[in-house]
Amino acid sequence: MQIGRRQFMAGLATTTLLGSIGRAGAQSTTLSAPWMGWPEEQVAPLMAAFEKETGIKVAAERLPIAELFKTLEVRLQARNEIPDVYLVDGPLTASYAARGHLLVLDEMLADDLERFLPSTLVQGTYDEKLYAMPLGTSTQILFYNKKLFAEAGLPEPSADPAKRMTWEEALSIAQALTKPEISQFGIAFENCNPYQLLALPQSWGAEVIGPDQLTAAGYVNGDAMVDAMTWYQELHQTHKVAPVGTFQTGVTQEMFGSGKLAMIVGGTWNLVGFEKFEGLDFGVAPHPYFAKGTPVTPTGSWHIGINPRTAHMEEAKAFVRWLSTRDAMDLWFELRQYPPSLRQIWEERASTNFIDPVWEIVQHELEHTATPRPATPGYREYEDFLKTAMQDINTGADVRATLDRAAQNIDREMRKYR
Amino acid sequence: MISSRWTPFLFLAPALAGLLIFRLTPILVAVGGSLSGVSLMGELRYVGLENFEYLADDPEFWESLRTTLYFNLLINPIQLAVAFALALLVFRPLPGVWFYRTLLVLPMAVSTGISAVLFGLFLDGNLGPMNGFLEWIGIGAQPFHRSHDQALYTLIGIATWKGAGYWMLFLLAGLYSIPSTVYEAATIDGANGWQRFRYVTLPLMRKPMAFVLVADTAINFLFFAPVYILTSGGPSGSTSVLMFQAYRAAFTFSDIGRSLAISTVLLGIIAIIVVLEFRFMRSPEEAK
Amino acid sequence: MDNPFQKPHVLMLRYGLLSILAFIVVFPLVWLALASVRPQNEIFQPVSDFGWNTFIPSRFTLDNYRTLLNGDFPLAVKNSTFVALTTVLFGVVVNALAGFAFAVFDFRGKNLLFLLVIVSFMMPFEAIVLPLYVMIRAFGWANSYQALIVPEIANGMVIFLFRQFFASIPRDFYEAARVDGASWFYIFARIAMPLSWPTIATSGLMLFLAQWDSFFWPVVAASDSAYAVVQVAIARNINFEQNDWGGLFASTNLAILLGTIPFLLIQRFYVRTLISGGIK
Repeated sequence: MQIGRRQFMAGLATTTLLGSIGRAGAQSTTLSAPWMGWPEEQVAPLMAAFEKETGIKVAAERLPIAELFKTLEVRLQARNEIPDVYLVDGPLTASYAARGHLLVLDEMLADDLERFLPSTLVQGTYDEKLYAMPLGTSTQILFYNKKLFAEAGLPEPSADPAKRMTWEEALSIAQALTKPEISQFGIAFENCNPYQLLALPQSWGAEVIGPDQLTAAGYVNGDAMVDAMTWYQELHQTHKVAPVGTFQTGVTQEMFGSGKLAMIVGGTWNLVGFEKFEGLDFGVAPHPYFAKGTPVTPTGSWHIGINPRTAHMEEAKAFVRWLSTRDAMDLWFELRQYPPSLRQIWEERASTNFIDPVWEIVQHELEHTATPRPATPGYREYEDFLKTAMQDINTGADVRATLDRAAQNIDREMRKYR
Repeated sequence: MISSRWTPFLFLAPALAGLLIFRLTPILVAVGGSLSGVSLMGELRYVGLENFEYLADDPEFWESLRTTLYFNLLINPIQLAVAFALALLVFRPLPGVWFYRTLLVLPMAVSTGISAVLFGLFLDGNLGPMNGFLEWIGIGAQPFHRSHDQALYTLIGIATWKGAGYWMLFLLAGLYSIPSTVYEAATIDGANGWQRFRYVTLPLMRKPMAFVLVADTAINFLFFAPVYILTSGGPSGSTSVLMFQAYRAAFTFSDIGRSLAISTVLLGIIAIIVVLEFRFMRSPEEAK
Repeated sequence: MDNPFQKPHVLMLRYGLLSILAFIVVFPLVWLALASVRPQNEIFQPVSDFGWNTFIPSRFTLDNYRTLLNGDFPLAVKNSTFVALTTVLFGVVVNALAGFAFAVFDFRGKNLLFLLVIVSFMMPFEAIVLPLYVMIRAFGWANSYQALIVPEIANGMVIFLFRQFFASIPRDFYEAARVDGASWFYIFARIAMPLSWPTIATSGLMLFLAQWDSFFWPVVAASDSAYAVVQVAIARNINFEQNDWGGLFASTNLAILLGTIPFLLIQRFYVRTLISGGIK
């Protein structure tokens, strides 16, 4: 009841405000918005809907992912009024905020914050202020090939988070599913990024960064981290149940799709990615965990932020506020199926889209096990060195020496944030 | 020598104006920027040689410098030699030679970045056809860019695959500029094939070769996209060239000053090496 | 033509060597081209299954190309072609003039100026992109063709190329024309340039390819979708979460084929007679 009233009020306020902006925008302001290079048909309708409602145009510049980050750096470091709004990768919020590239959104969204799943707001928050609004979130699940399980005479893993597999169990199943003579592997992570792999040390019980969010020594190369990453390396190098050199989601997806990989730990985007493999019959199960530790799942996704130097402040705010509405988020989910950040979308679609066990698992993880990446202003540095280290570990480098080097490098680059 | 007071500048004006505005001024700004530091909030301040002192104390920088020099010591002579060999092979008339020539230059229409993506897939250990081929002919699968020992050579291979045909064209243009009368004279004097090549072709090819060597050197010292796309400087730092360090400093560490210092060092190194190359390539008459 | 190259065994050796080298160069491209006409789900074949099916599609499809034609790829091709050809048109003339000056004249500050020309291509583009971007914005050129074309016309490497080739034309040539009262511009346009067709063709190709392959600058300076260029359109197929390999291969393949057309057109200039006829 209370929520209903608040939503009503928020809706009213939004409508009034948008109405006034709509008039102001009659001179047709165009917002510049660096965006991900998703296909046009997944981007344009969102912008068109906003323009229809307010008369404000949004020029979404669809950039390939690496260029999105590079271009944002060039534009933001020029410190002028371009861009007006931009897509923020969740864990980079702190990095942009600490350098004065993001506007604080708390006041503007004060009445709306409770409509979001709390875990989705964590990554947009830095220094206890919300700088970037989540457009969605993500989690990782275990996909398995039903045919390969049947051939090996193995029972399929349960989709029930209460009966979650341990990594120890997953390893022995993977061994049964590995057939070197036909290059068939048991299991793989979709890539080697910290987003993907930090859940391993975290489930093992490791703290992956110091409490000040700036210290790597003793954490990135702490014993728990080294042990967990040694376990990861053995998967590839000792047990040989996982293919070596799988650094790219697109390639690992192909291996799973062509039936050469029995299990893959990956994001919900794979649901769309696997569609092209006609003969593929796959099932889903929750992310495994270490018997000695706790279940942990990666999370976080794209956010939207405002350049504080924008010359179109009101229009930019209107855009972000509009994106937070139920209608915009619903449309966004239609276009790209990231797990929604608004509770309402989950509730409304509970009986239509979210009947698949996949979404039950996702919802469970988001509420119970989702662990955001470190909220450090130095996440770019942290991620860069750790990713390289994880790739080296994957291909067989000495685990402790590699993590020592990464910790040392991260600490050196973190100095400027102290 | 021909001299005229104003004519040369009229000829130079359009190009120099373009270079001055769009290249040299930004370069000057960049070199000046290497003496500055940018705070987190974007305030610029003069720091003197601090960025260079930082580099001097950074073992990663020295390791990267070694990698860069080693990479260039190999790749530039290799590319020049391969390009010259190709040019000689397709120079003389031969039925169908235009077809071979076209095949050899196809890679130049692939951008460096895309060539890296392409080879990442082509050489992939699990799905790439190259390893299937190597196993089929009995050599066995290779880790290529995923191995500490092979990564740098893999990058050299990819760059040469893309570059050889391109540089061949310049040498080919050079070969066609040698008047056939020169050869005829040498033949009449009784020179054999090797002697003609050694005493006629090579000396007359000095200028085109100098061009290829110098231009290629500048390009290879700035070689970057494949490192970024394929190896991220790894495995274990084995391909971490200076360009990659400069890129990371600017775009990942937000340390523009340090990045520009690395770029300035690169500029200095390339300049020194290019001067040496000019000396090496000049003719005996010019040396006097 | 003279003898040893026409002997049968030498001929065989040349064809043999050329075939091996061409195979090395073309092998990855053939794989790419064949993969682009496969159905999406069988673009890759596991290493252990190497054989004819690694290359020959089980089912031939043009779906990937059809998708490209319906997307923004045709626009990108149009943009890149326009940008590249305009750059070639202006670039060849502007840089040839400068190269001619460096090769033929003696003037104060020549060495210093030439050094600056060389230096202009020794700085990483990543280091100058920020000042360049600020400048382009100050000119009001952000998101325009000017931003893509104008900064790329003057090219140190092309000036250097022209200098090297003009310098190999004997000076007496020019002197003779001067004695006859020809102006320097006449000498440049009517004597030096016609003697340099292979160089003009190569420099044009250089400028064309620099634009055809350019990627980072267009992304920064003109990222509006109306100015999409080929390499950006290709790279959009590479996505962190999900790659469109079919789209990537098909667009790369088209970019290679289209980007090779200029070479096919200029190949006719790679013949000796033009210049040897001139120099006696």
